[in-house]
Amino acid sequence: MKRAFQVGLAVLLFGLALYPTMASGYGIRFMLQLFMWVALAQSWNLISGLTGYVSFGHVAFFGTGAYAAGILVTTHGWHWVPASLAGGVAAVILALLIGYPCLRLKGPYFAISMLGLNEVMRVLVSYFEGLTGGGSGLSFPTQPASVQIYYAMALSALAVTGAAYFIITSRFGLKFMTIREDEVAAEAMGIDTARYKLGAFVLSAFVPGVVGGLFARDTGYIEPISVFALIITITMIVMALFGGKGTVWGPVLGAVTLFVLQELVWARFLFFYQILFGAIIVVVVLLMPRGILGVLQQRYHLPRTI
Amino acid sequence: MQTRPILEVSGVTKRFGGVTAVNRCSLSLARGKIYGLIGPNGSGKTTLFNCITGLERRDEGEVRFKGGRIDGLKPHQVARRGIGRTFQIIRVFPELTALENLLVVTQGPFEAARRRAEELLRFVTLDRLQNEYAGNLSYGQQKLLEFVRVLMTDPELILLDEPAAGVNPTLLNELLAAITGLRDQGKTILIVEHDMKVVMGLSETIFVLDYGEKIAEGPPGVIQADARVIEAYFGR
Repeated sequence: MKRAFQVGLAVLLFGLALYPTMASGYGIRFMLQLFMWVALAQSWNLISGLTGYVSFGHVAFFGTGAYAAGILVTTHGWHWVPASLAGGVAAVILALLIGYPCLRLKGPYFAISMLGLNEVMRVLVSYFEGLTGGGSGLSFPTQPASVQIYYAMALSALAVTGAAYFIITSRFGLKFMTIREDEVAAEAMGIDTARYKLGAFVLSAFVPGVVGGLFARDTGYIEPISVFALIITITMIVMALFGGKGTVWGPVLGAVTLFVLQELVWARFLFFYQILFGAIIVVVVLLMPRGILGVLQQRYHLPRTI
Repeated sequence: MQTRPILEVSGVTKRFGGVTAVNRCSLSLARGKIYGLIGPNGSGKTTLFNCITGLERRDEGEVRFKGGRIDGLKPHQVARRGIGRTFQIIRVFPELTALENLLVVTQGPFEAARRRAEELLRFVTLDRLQNEYAGNLSYGQQKLLEFVRVLMTDPELILLDEPAAGVNPTLLNELLAAITGLRDQGKTILIVEHDMKVVMGLSETIFVLDYGEKIAEGPPGVIQADARVIEAYFGR
């Protein structure tokens, strides 16, 4: 079973690596967006699914990465690859600054502080027009780079999924999960919860920052409302919840299912998609708060590594 | 020769708003002995535990462990110095397995930690359930798991908050034997317990709290005959 899964995964990764050589431009752009959502949903899973601090403002890291990369590319002439990595670093710096005060808050208070962070970032970016272009946004040079961005997005998704796997399977990683399980008991057992929380938070911010930079390069144009959009946070949360937070493959499954569904329905019935999305949120919350894999895991006693 | 006490609590006071939960409390524990801490509900036993382990910041007084001040340290720093505790309300990690609950609190070589964890699970007859999520275990089993989890960090001083509550009589005897066994290995143990038979049977010295103040201290026989203790429990 495990062996079959590993072989299947290897074949899948190999196939995905070869895909751009035979796919259409549409196919590649579809897949790179799919990888982006996997990376975002999985990043949210690191802090909220595994460490238990539910973040309602994770798009702040995405937007910060997008703008950091955007400024470096447009005004400093950086190549988009190092610029996107710098976007990740910018998101990490933001996480360090904001994590120190905000991670003292618990439950809904933390969630709301993160929501506020995103609003503040959006306003700040709009305000400093000289640097960011303000409300008129930033435009990128437009030589196509879809294939390269495809691989960069795929690597981002792979990296953060690897991080989730490591947290779930290693003794060191389990320490992050004790924070979700019982922070007081973890402290009393000698685990420095403040440090681990900040570590998980920073880890969960890096990839959204990188992916934000890649997204900016891919779409060629960013503005405050497009990269600090609340809907992006909500989408990553719903994807992770739908597939099963706190598992390795849940956010991947959720992102793939919902993104494919969106592509099928959205092109034809724009408003129907929004209704469907809303209905999915309600159904997941009411009927399977643990998500698809969470339910399977409990019913069939499966390990969290699913 | 008189050796220095392992734990010295001197004049500790803790207030919550207008309520003084612990009032100028002083205890001194010698290494390698079992101590009991009793008192009616709300007399400040758990708050005192929390002041020792850093979960609450004391308002006044000093706590010294092996001679060094530990009041003002964070709970994980206190734990790292060698004080372990269990909780009155069970606090296992419910969505980690029984085995993971023990492994996660350890540092150092993994294989050694694993052998120790398996040995402790066998000891409390939870070895067959080692891959079960802790949240799926029964109340008594979770209690035992929490008890062995504290042993994983090999603390020198162990604070047990009602270890006997909810444990079945057969297992209780083994638990009591285990506690005595720990004492024989040189550990110091402070127990909060409502079951008088348990606490009187185990402890060499008992401290009695009432309204946050220590009203008596002495061997079980003396405590049982103490007029102030009887008054605290049964009224005048």
